[in-house]
Amino acid sequence: MNNESISVIKVRDILMVTMPSDPDDSTISSLQNKVLTAMERTDAKGVILDISTVETLDSFFARTVSETAQMVALMGGRTIVAGMRPAVAVTATQIGLTLKNIETSLNVERALDAATAERPRDPR
Amino acid sequence: MKSKTKSPNGGGEKRLEAVTTPDMLRMLVENVRDYAIILLDPKGNVTSWSPTAERLKGWRAEEIIGQHFSKFYPPEDNVSHKTATELAVAEKEGRFEDEGWRVRKDGTRFWANVVLTALRDKEGKLVGFGKVTRDLSERRAAEEKIRKQSQEIFEMAAVPVVQVWEGILLVPLIGTLDSQRTQHLMERLLQRVTETSSPVALLDITGVPTIDSQTAQHLIETVAAVRLLGADVVLTGVRPTIAQTLVHLGIDLSNVFTRSSLTAGVRMALEILNLKVGPKS
Repeated sequence: MNNESISVIKVRDILMVTMPSDPDDSTISSLQNKVLTAMERTDAKGVILDISTVETLDSFFARTVSETAQMVALMGGRTIVAGMRPAVAVTATQIGLTLKNIETSLNVERALDAATAERPRDPR
Repeated sequence: MKSKTKSPNGGGEKRLEAVTTPDMLRMLVENVRDYAIILLDPKGNVTSWSPTAERLKGWRAEEIIGQHFSKFYPPEDNVSHKTATELAVAEKEGRFEDEGWRVRKDGTRFWANVVLTALRDKEGKLVGFGKVTRDLSERRAAEEKIRKQSQEIFEMAAVPVVQVWEGILLVPLIGTLDSQRTQHLMERLLQRVTETSSPVALLDITGVPTIDSQTAQHLIETVAAVRLLGADVVLTGVRPTIAQTLVHLGIDLSNVFTRSSLTAGVRMALEILNLKVGPKS
């Protein structure tokens, strides 16, 4: 219904994906298809998922993001989740969602830097 | 006043008359500051009013005499018939004291201490009530302010979050970490990380005497939450005893950056930010 509210824009080699503030299940379901078809069509190097307006994160959304990131990785790209709100992070941690193996960034700008720098963020 | 209410048939009244004149008493009632002293009939209707009562509550004598004193109470108290209860208690026990919100003529509220005293004639028959109202708004406001300030200081001291460099936050924790404090830590830290767009936060536990498994779990959750925002946490000040405790408790911190000293932590933060500090020349 409001599938259109997910926007996918290609900037240089990166796909900028913006989530609406209160995505329903069908919107979330459409995320995977949109991102993967855009990956195929544009041959992008990575995906930045902007969730800075999202106010709630449930397990379904978290799983979809994790799975999509894995699929994007299989297609040769990396996924960075940008701009999670503090309150969302608190609830996500409380219900045990840690978005394992997913890169995160404070905001879209930093995510763009990270995505184009090609530098491993983890110094360990 | 007390002896008068305690023994309505005793000699109290006489003694009172002997040392003061009714005129002086009236002057006292009309001029005493901060207290509104009025009289009610046995049903609770106002029978006497005073200039101090007018100053405090706003009504003029001709507007309020004959009216029921429930007018001074906020609506929620009148729903529960508070005034009837008060009169009943005052009649039974001689007096009733209360502290709470009262309403002025213009509808504004003030915090008041109210004492209702049953007045009886020589035969012990109830002739009415004396009502002494004291405006405590200022005291309450002062108390509220002090409470708020100490709360703020306490919260600041419990979890101080300072920015030590562009992109680096430092949280020097001192004292035992209970779950309330760690919860507060998580919220404050996440908020500050977002506000300052800091990719690194140093969590220094040099001043934390011991860590139990619950505290460690809270710290791990905090680190996980900060990661979700897109920032990293470096846990510094891991002293030998703390390191031993953590391993003995079987707490897995392999996903968390840890360093023994704050210096090492700062070095690591600079490394994460891809910055280098060197000699000036």
